[in-house]
Amino acid sequence: MKRARFLLGFVAVVLGVASALLAAGGWSPQTGPAAVGAPADEGIPIANATTTRFCAPCHKADEKGRMTRISYRRTTPEGWQQTVKRMVRLNGLKMDPADAREVVRYLSDHLGLAPEEAKEGAFEVERRTPSYLEYAYTASKDTEKTCTGCHSMGRVILQRRTKGEWELLIALHRGMYPLVDGQAFRDPPGPRPVSASADGRPPDTRQPMEKAVAHLSAAFPLVTPEWSAWVAAMAPPQLQGRWALAGYQVGKGAVFGHVAIAAKGTPDSGEFTTESTYTYARTGETVTRSGRAILYTGYQWRGSSGTPPPGAAGWATRGGDEWREVLAVDRDWRHASGRWFTGSYTEIGIDVRLERVGADPLVLGVEPARLDAGGSARELRIYGANLPTRVAPADVTLGPGITVDRVVSATPDQLVVTVSAARAATAGRRPVRLTAATGEASVAVYTSIDYVKVSPPAAMAYLGGGGSQFPKGFQQFEAVAYANGADGKPNTKDDIDLGWVDAAWALEEYTTTYNDNDREFVGTIDQAGFFTPNVDGPNPKRRVDNSPRGTNNWGDVWAVATVQPDGQARATPLKARAFLLVTIPTYMVWDQPEVGR
Amino acid sequence: MQHLRSINRKAARVVGATTDPARDVLGLQQPPLVPHIPIGCTLVFHPGWETDAAGGTAGLCQPVEGDIFDCYLGCYWPAQVPDQLNYASDWTSACAAAVKDWQKIDLIFP
Repeated sequence: MKRARFLLGFVAVVLGVASALLAAGGWSPQTGPAAVGAPADEGIPIANATTTRFCAPCHKADEKGRMTRISYRRTTPEGWQQTVKRMVRLNGLKMDPADAREVVRYLSDHLGLAPEEAKEGAFEVERRTPSYLEYAYTASKDTEKTCTGCHSMGRVILQRRTKGEWELLIALHRGMYPLVDGQAFRDPPGPRPVSASADGRPPDTRQPMEKAVAHLSAAFPLVTPEWSAWVAAMAPPQLQGRWALAGYQVGKGAVFGHVAIAAKGTPDSGEFTTESTYTYARTGETVTRSGRAILYTGYQWRGSSGTPPPGAAGWATRGGDEWREVLAVDRDWRHASGRWFTGSYTEIGIDVRLERVGADPLVLGVEPARLDAGGSARELRIYGANLPTRVAPADVTLGPGITVDRVVSATPDQLVVTVSAARAATAGRRPVRLTAATGEASVAVYTSIDYVKVSPPAAMAYLGGGGSQFPKGFQQFEAVAYANGADGKPNTKDDIDLGWVDAAWALEEYTTTYNDNDREFVGTIDQAGFFTPNVDGPNPKRRVDNSPRGTNNWGDVWAVATVQPDGQARATPLKARAFLLVTIPTYMVWDQPEVGR
Repeated sequence: MQHLRSINRKAARVVGATTDPARDVLGLQQPPLVPHIPIGCTLVFHPGWETDAAGGTAGLCQPVEGDIFDCYLGCYWPAQVPDQLNYASDWTSACAAAVKDWQKIDLIFP
């Protein structure tokens, strides 16, 4: 009965949408957005035979080679990949992976985004999954509410469309998912606003989706100066050469290494192979990986790496040791930054910065990242590339109060010195300077660790692995130490971030429901701050009032770090905590790993 | 209604509520302006698939498998749960009751 009623509702909505479109000028794939009012001079011609061959049966081209729908939208490689997949899954398109790759490549290069346009939504393609919870789209709250009811705002802000195209996108959502009308696209039934708004203008009686279209077509139009400038500046990128890598992985610390990039095929192919070697400075663990990558739109690096390299015999695409790479290359082809990541929920990742290695010495960072004023002399490892192998202590400068006692060892990648910080050394972050070297590194000088924080402050893990197809989503925490700074007060602007600190980890109950005993069911946290969630599925041992089969192992808990700073006499150790939500699996995976394979 | 007169205070309040233009009351029998919405717990706590209105899990369906097929049939969570209209028309064919055979449910890559 419920389903019958639902189907009736669906038919009604489809008819409603269709009639609205007919009233607006009779749209079909054959007539395209021109019929709903796109100015005739907009639209980007499609000049790729493969794209035309596969798309033209539905998307007719006009006399200028502009194809309906396609020519009126620009987006990321992931956006185009999603579209091609939808055509295959839902619209009966049949194409080989090689052809799909060519189409996605062509569309991303010629109907892509300029670097400035892709920047704000980088979190989306870098798969910083929980980030969308923290990201707030402030330009239009109505638009944000309309879109984020189902998905991240990142998907939206990484698109550029004509007004007609934005309208068709709304129509597509209403046709595919009829319930969106009642969820976010339209206001609930009831009286519309009648009184004038505060500024005296007539009340805004538009539905949320109408407000969204008005905003999106103004904020994210097809034609922008950024894109016009980028089209003129874009050139086949020459990235081959040696690059230095500096990164940070939560829980494992700073990463330093290098990446050798070679062109695959011709130098202008925009495809590359990589050999990466990097070391976790904290533990000394060294990782070597082979990879390959495609550079889309002249700057969007999409790659993957593994051991053996992706595509080689014995390499598993899922569940193997694949790490994906999403980077944005600067216009100068000398810097790139982004994220390398893995995990079923892409929850494990390194924030990566690449710098091309030239003739000059390059400093990337130091370990440890803090020095105790008045403490005993200690080794400081300076990581970099092309570092001089003949170094005198005087070549390394850390500012007043810090003495470089001697050089322990010097290789092109790592310089080890012993330093001592005087008790009177001024606390604060100070640059580490190596004569004649470029690059930036800094070290924090402090007298005491005054408080700690847990990073990230709020996090999410997903139940899984209970004999189902749904994988676990893990969560890594780390404790970060702080000094109060000159004002002696915690949580003020002059506090000094002292970096990672060793901690003892535990879970504590976050009380939202009495006696639900979340801590016992959600999972476990190890002494490295790594949380492993429990299995999915109903747990018969966990009964609630109305669930005879038991409920899931979910819950909300605190991840608590207890820190006893070295050498500091403290009656009670420092404590900090982060909110951890352990929740149900996501039953669909909207992800486009293919763009980097 | 116009031939009926309220004879106690509660009835008077009902009449007042239905005739006061500022307080709009929609009965279940009035034609709905939106398509069918599955009456599941997720309707009440809307902010996100992973959390309830308070940002926790206490208000989610207990267990989620007891409600998951309703989410599917109603396409209520099209980005988190497969929908019957588009990407997974036979998602429920592997098992009749998710709460019993939840391990048979497919993970969908749209």
